[in-house]
Amino acid sequence: MSASQPIDTRAEMLSGALSLASAPPPSTARGVTSDLSIDEALLLHGAGWEPVDLVCGVSVVSVPIGVWNWGQGEITVASAAHNAAVKGASDHLQNECIKVHGHGVVGVRVNVEVHTHHIDVELVGTAIRPLSGGSHPAAPFVSDLSARDFALLQGAGWMPVGLAFGASFAYAPRRSAGDAMKQKTQNIELTNFTEAMYSARESAMERMQRSALDVGGQGVVQVKVTEGPMHFAHHAVGFTAWGTAVRLVAESHQFVQPDVILPLDDAVVTFAAQSLRGA
Amino acid sequence: MSDAATDLPEAAVRRIESTSFSSGLSVPDFAACLDLGLQPVGLVQGFCVMRWGWYGAGSGYMRGMNPYAGAGQGDGAYMETYRCPHGYVSAEHRMWGQNVEQTWVEETWSQGYGSAYTRMLEEATAFGAHGVIGVVDRVTNLADTGTTEFHFLGTAIKVEGGPPPAGGVPWSTYLAGQRLTKSIEAGFMPVSVAASMASVRVWAYCMTEYFMEGSRGWGGPTSPYEVDQVSKAHMASIQLARKHVRQQLSGDLLHGATIEVVKRELSQGDEVIDCTLRGNRMRRFKDFDVVPPPRPTVRLT
Repeated sequence: MSASQPIDTRAEMLSGALSLASAPPPSTARGVTSDLSIDEALLLHGAGWEPVDLVCGVSVVSVPIGVWNWGQGEITVASAAHNAAVKGASDHLQNECIKVHGHGVVGVRVNVEVHTHHIDVELVGTAIRPLSGGSHPAAPFVSDLSARDFALLQGAGWMPVGLAFGASFAYAPRRSAGDAMKQKTQNIELTNFTEAMYSARESAMERMQRSALDVGGQGVVQVKVTEGPMHFAHHAVGFTAWGTAVRLVAESHQFVQPDVILPLDDAVVTFAAQSLRGA
Repeated sequence: MSDAATDLPEAAVRRIESTSFSSGLSVPDFAACLDLGLQPVGLVQGFCVMRWGWYGAGSGYMRGMNPYAGAGQGDGAYMETYRCPHGYVSAEHRMWGQNVEQTWVEETWSQGYGSAYTRMLEEATAFGAHGVIGVVDRVTNLADTGTTEFHFLGTAIKVEGGPPPAGGVPWSTYLAGQRLTKSIEAGFMPVSVAASMASVRVWAYCMTEYFMEGSRGWGGPTSPYEVDQVSKAHMASIQLARKHVRQQLSGDLLHGATIEVVKRELSQGDEVIDCTLRGNRMRRFKDFDVVPPPRPTVRLT
């Protein structure tokens, strides 16, 4: 497949159909499973990698009773439970990757559910390995980057090293009875909630960046955040941040130098019925 | 439904014998299909409605109260037993717990899914099709009756000038249009859609019950603690679905897999975790061509 030689897709289709015209010999080979799209598989292959297997990691961590009751400052037990659940799931994922001789996991789907008494974390992705083989790393990388982003990152001289994660839950302090009465008839900022959110954010971001350093990363890309009051405890706010920790492996950053294109097709022009009314 | 031509309703036979075709493809997919040398011959479907009850052989009720009875489970089915660390406390105390693979649920699901799929392929065979593209499947629970409907829909096609598939059984794929074209260009021929379902029942023992309701039990840890039984059950459901689907591959590849995990909490700590995994079983028919390095672009709009 090269740019100068157009592919005769009909001939390829016939070759494919021919390959199914006779029953294949019995095989004991271990089938490869992957949740990558065909585009992602092609891109990965172009970047020198291939999928090995679907891998998963799950951790359910208990949150002791009473921790969401009203208090002051950070809800340290809940924050610790959240971080332990992510760490546990990530470790299980890494172990599965090692078992199938993968060098890393890409496209990890992160699913976190915070319940009153337990926090569930599920990670699912595709383990990959380089086409050239090579020795197995002691700790495979875990990344929630898509195969396209992984190929682009590698082209720029960087590699993912792990999932960086941080979470923090904090109580919104009670207002005094006087403040509550005064604010009842005012349009006013509730500084207790704002301050709680700032406190949770700073702790979560700091933990995320520290976890990136722990896995040998220099920074974190594609950071996602969730924030807001807990649906089962409105006086508590939570902030989570996660992304992929990356490290420069080339001598220096390789500039991608993209081509600038100017599409000549118009933006979508649709018929607007209102124009008939002369409005 | 062994003899497709005679089993089909009269209207279906008339439809199959007509000179027009029907297809579920979008216009771009239809154009890509023609470009690939595929000729649509008809929209094909398969249905099956299944019901499974709680009282079947091997179900929780049949299992009885013996923690070591795996009645109704096939050989090699997943089962883990957990023992209470406290000893006898009371009749209500959960002295043992288990994670059990519900093979009877998985087998019924596979039967329903397989029957609907086979019926779709039988319709395609009646059209003389070589394959079915753009397959869409849907598994729906009908009301609250423990009844599930399996529905398959796809477009039967003939490969212009191509040979019939081995055994006359059409190949099938969820792909259509440019995604199918790219797969063929890359050297992957679709063989069939592949899917599996794994169901794990968690019978919580005392510690799992305590942890899932936030209490610590006697002598339990005071810091956050991983609920081992539930974590393992959840992992097992995904791993089992992967294992079942791999058994269908015979050395081929599964591309574009999607995983869906559904948890149903029955009581504190007790739950059922169902995992469904589906994707395209593909066979490599030529060496993988390396794509030229992609050119990054910035779009001015």
